[in-house]
Amino acid sequence: MPAIQVTNLQKTFQLKRKAAGLRGSLKALIQPEYTLVEAVRSLSFEMEAGELLGFIGPNGAGKSTTIKILTGILHPSGGQASVLGFTPWKQRQRLAFHIGTVFGQRPQLWYHLPAMDTFLLFGKIYEMEETHLQRRIGLLSEAFDLKGLLETPVRKLSLGQRMRCEVAASLLHQPQLLLLDEPSIGLDVVAKQHIRDAIRLMSQQEKVGVLLTSHDASDLEALCHRVIIINHGQIVYQDKVSNLKRKFLTRKTVEARYAQEIAPTFQVEGMETLKTGRYGVKLTFDSRQTPADAALLRLAAAGTLVDITISDPPLEEVIANIYTESAA
Amino acid sequence: MKKYWFVFQIQLLNSLAYPGELIGRALTIVPFMWIFYQLWRVTFASSGGAEINGLTLSMTMWYFAMTETIEISRPRVGNTIAEAVKDGSIAYLLSKPYNFLLYQYASAMGETIFRALLNAVFSGLVVWLLVGAPPSALGLAWASLAMLGAWTLHFCIAALIGLAAFAVEDVSAFLWVYQKAAFVLGGLLIPLDFYPAWLQTLARFFPFAALSYAPARLFIQPGLTAFLNVLAQQSGWIAALSLALALTYRAATRSLTINGG
Repeated sequence: MPAIQVTNLQKTFQLKRKAAGLRGSLKALIQPEYTLVEAVRSLSFEMEAGELLGFIGPNGAGKSTTIKILTGILHPSGGQASVLGFTPWKQRQRLAFHIGTVFGQRPQLWYHLPAMDTFLLFGKIYEMEETHLQRRIGLLSEAFDLKGLLETPVRKLSLGQRMRCEVAASLLHQPQLLLLDEPSIGLDVVAKQHIRDAIRLMSQQEKVGVLLTSHDASDLEALCHRVIIINHGQIVYQDKVSNLKRKFLTRKTVEARYAQEIAPTFQVEGMETLKTGRYGVKLTFDSRQTPADAALLRLAAAGTLVDITISDPPLEEVIANIYTESAA
Repeated sequence: MKKYWFVFQIQLLNSLAYPGELIGRALTIVPFMWIFYQLWRVTFASSGGAEINGLTLSMTMWYFAMTETIEISRPRVGNTIAEAVKDGSIAYLLSKPYNFLLYQYASAMGETIFRALLNAVFSGLVVWLLVGAPPSALGLAWASLAMLGAWTLHFCIAALIGLAAFAVEDVSAFLWVYQKAAFVLGGLLIPLDFYPAWLQTLARFFPFAALSYAPARLFIQPGLTAFLNVLAQQSGWIAALSLALALTYRAATRSLTINGG
């Protein structure tokens, strides 16, 4: 049985419209106007138990709404969904015992108390036995490197440390499925890597399925086997991450900084120069034609490198490419 | 029920996160009591008698010590629920295996206890210095139980208003009306005994008197019958409003939209 089965899921919100200014406010008061927003439109997909599935899309694509329907917080306007055999919005409390949730922008840890207090509270909320709870805290503390953090008030932790505690807290009751909504938002590269490593480890050790939403393509590259891209509440692409990478994440952007001044006509073979500065240059290349190691060697040969950043195209660009490809 | 007991305990701990702020806030009751004393000392002096409608100045001041303690210590239930809806954190609160309303109740009571304790100590000390010892220890014991009933009743009303945020988001106007109605019909600033008969009768049809007047009156004139009356009054309102709360919650979660996606 799939861990998640979604058929023709729909969610429509009614949004109040108001023109700017006093006149608009008065008009909205007397004769309010509403627009229907289709946050999720006929969404259908499946996720196997233990699978690491990326659910990505730009802001406002309907990712978070879908996650909230799957956790039972929101009632859909139409369609069916089954999560671990439960209908989320009808059996929310029973389902909650089997899933873990992290909403990146909504902290669940008690802000003024040490994270350990929230862990103990969750132990009670999930009706865990004391010995089991302590064993889980020890295990997660190891996996997420939380030693010394659990006794510190949450408000004193860095964002990265806090997110590690957040994700660990969501795994405390050993859920079969973890729903992560933008867990890496606002984190630096090191903190992101730390969280991804810990999630991957827990997923391997405990066979917990992970549904991850993000608008950062690097999240799914690092964690997921399969990816579903949604935009305007609909699936625009679904495939293995390896296929997505091969097809769409091939154009890389490089920002390099040199110790010496560079020429305004700076060029590197196999790469296109986008912008040059006094010491820095921004280039782009297709990794199918110019492998990343070759690009790095050529850049290093052009001068003494002080700093270098290679990044994937923004997700919006990937989605635009997918649209172009499917239209063709 | 263990989980709700633990929520109560953790909120109790949380309320101690900033002890200086907790004490500072509780100290605001001191000038209130002093101002009340000045006002009512003059009122009693101008009335020419030692009693007004059966209450002495000492009884009136102890009445206010109790009503103010109840009022100032009340949990911010309505605002808490409304803010959770507005900022989207309701998503977290609803994704855990507990009854949302019981969770909020346990949390509200945990938030109240230390605040109430400090308010009671500060207001009690000031009033004791101004008018002498409290009427009776028995009254305090009974009134303490009635205070728990008062906060439970307040929870039901404020949570109902808070749940309105699921539909209208901003509930501050409703909370304002509730607070003012509780001031007047709950006998917070003037004991209901001093009201004209018609207003006293009107107050009986609302739950507000059970919020502050009833426990405070029980404190200054304790008795088994009075206690049972307060208990019956509070239980009736709590039962009716709990039912309304449960039904409203059910309807509210069906129409929930969450801000920020």
